Amino acid sequence: MMREMEPPSNSESDLAAVLRAFCAACNQNPKLVAMNRDWERLVAILSPEGDRHWIRCQAGRLSWQPDEGGREPDLEVEAPRAILEAVFAGRMAPTDPYNRGDLLVRGQADDLLRLDIITLMVWGE
Amino acid sequence: MAGAPGGLKRILPLRTAVSTSAGLASAAVNFLAAVEVAQLAAGRWAWVAIAVAGLLIVGAASNFAELSGMYPTSAAIRVWMGRALGDQVARVGSLVYASTVLLVMGADAFVLAKAFSQAVPGIPGMAVVAVLLGVISAANLRGIRIAGWIQDLNALALLATLVVFSALVLWHHPLAAPAAAAGPATGGFWQAVAVGVFIYVGFEWVTPLAEEFRDARAIPRGMLIALGVVALAFALFTAAIEALSPGAGALGQSLAPQLWVGREAMGGVGYWWMMAMTLTTAGTTFNGGLATASRFVYALARERTLPRSWARLNQHLVPGRALIGLTVLALAIAVVVVATARYQFLVNTGAAVESFMYAVSALLVIRLRRKEATRLRPYRAWGGTWAIAGFGVVYLFLGFGALTTGPSAVPWPLVVMGGLIGAALGYVRWGVPHLGAVRERTWGEPS
Repeated sequence: MMREMEPPSNSESDLAAVLRAFCAACNQNPKLVAMNRDWERLVAILSPEGDRHWIRCQAGRLSWQPDEGGREPDLEVEAPRAILEAVFAGRMAPTDPYNRGDLLVRGQADDLLRLDIITLMVWGE
Repeated sequence: MAGAPGGLKRILPLRTAVSTSAGLASAAVNFLAAVEVAQLAAGRWAWVAIAVAGLLIVGAASNFAELSGMYPTSAAIRVWMGRALGDQVARVGSLVYASTVLLVMGADAFVLAKAFSQAVPGIPGMAVVAVLLGVISAANLRGIRIAGWIQDLNALALLATLVVFSALVLWHHPLAAPAAAAGPATGGFWQAVAVGVFIYVGFEWVTPLAEEFRDARAIPRGMLIALGVVALAFALFTAAIEALSPGAGALGQSLAPQLWVGREAMGGVGYWWMMAMTLTTAGTTFNGGLATASRFVYALARERTLPRSWARLNQHLVPGRALIGLTVLALAIAVVVVATARYQFLVNTGAAVESFMYAVSALLVIRLRRKEATRLRPYRAWGGTWAIAGFGVVYLFLGFGALTTGPSAVPWPLVVMGGLIGAALGYVRWGVPHLGAVRERTWGEPS
């Protein structure tokens, strides 16, 4: 279970730092890397405050990206910035804001489940 | 809110919204529901009862469309009820609502068992049900899902079969013209409308797929088209039953009326074609029911409404315990229903739960229009507050009508539904807090 997060750099937003740390946590988890070996996806992380971030999964490894690189995303995750930060930092289970309607996801159902499992495996119960 | 910028690679078209909605509504037990409608509505008025039920359902579809547009999420009713009525009510409502999946599966098992026993007397129908459930459950456990297009194809084949076969039957056996000024007995007609609601049950289960559609208008449009197709197919089927057996007299005793219609339409080929349609339709009901319900159980377990062990995933990323538990439960219901032949109370209970849920959908639309007036609504339900409330009251009456309909002196649907609500209330009141204790710990901290 991952507990060490990369310290955020001062030049980037809190959400970007949280997402980078989240990717690092995933990449340190060998089970997750193995599980996502064949799962190649581009996930857009959006907030009503105007945040736009992308996480790319390739060959089992996740990476934060400042732009979509000309690709259409496979999944969109949208929530207020505070919720996104809490979820990706492991302070909040995604199920809670999801069931309140505060966190919306758009994409294939199987991908949605995979994303939930990833957060579960990184942060535990 | 979600999805404003850019596009998505994997999105579903309107066609899928139509076929999914129609497919979810097309259960094998609808054949028996159609016969029950024919008995209650004095025969030739049965198709009118189905059409009226369909028109009423359109109002509910309009409500679901507004709610789904506001919150396009697979948690659907859980989210909408939570925002409008609070978390506790949402939990109770979701548990009761989800139980209709098991009721429909049990009823379909009964239809399949009886049809198979009639077609192949040497093989016990219940054995076929058990094998089919086992195979579908095992496939789901390995993460193999029957492809959506197969389910869609089956739904379209079933509805097309009903239209063609029923038309052929009506061609050979025209309906007798109604006597002048003759009409249905009012009480029976409205009970028939209440049971007729069951034929459409499940059309709204397409809303949990809202996340997979780019165009927010696909869900409302898809539901409306699907309702029209289902109404046409089953109204014709009911008319064919009436033509063959006025008042569903002789057919009323049959537990496989669709086989009779198949034989009358196309002889032996029609008979076996209809048998095959019964088998595949029950199969897709089992598959859709298990896949949907197991995911729902997973979500409830993740939020600690159910024991968290039920959210455990196997190596294929499938909630195995939930799936096996649901399979056992569905099989147990099927055994009881096949042994007692009391399928009607499942039909009536399912119709009642759905009618009440449609009434609740009206309440949710009205409440959320007040509580979240500024929230973006890609689709607005038809009518103002009073019109929506009026539809809600009609659904309430239909629900009570379904609960009190049936041949037995004991209103079993009422008993079953009361038991379901009581169990869900008690569980949420006393059971969930114990599970919630785990949740209080800050999520993400080392355990």
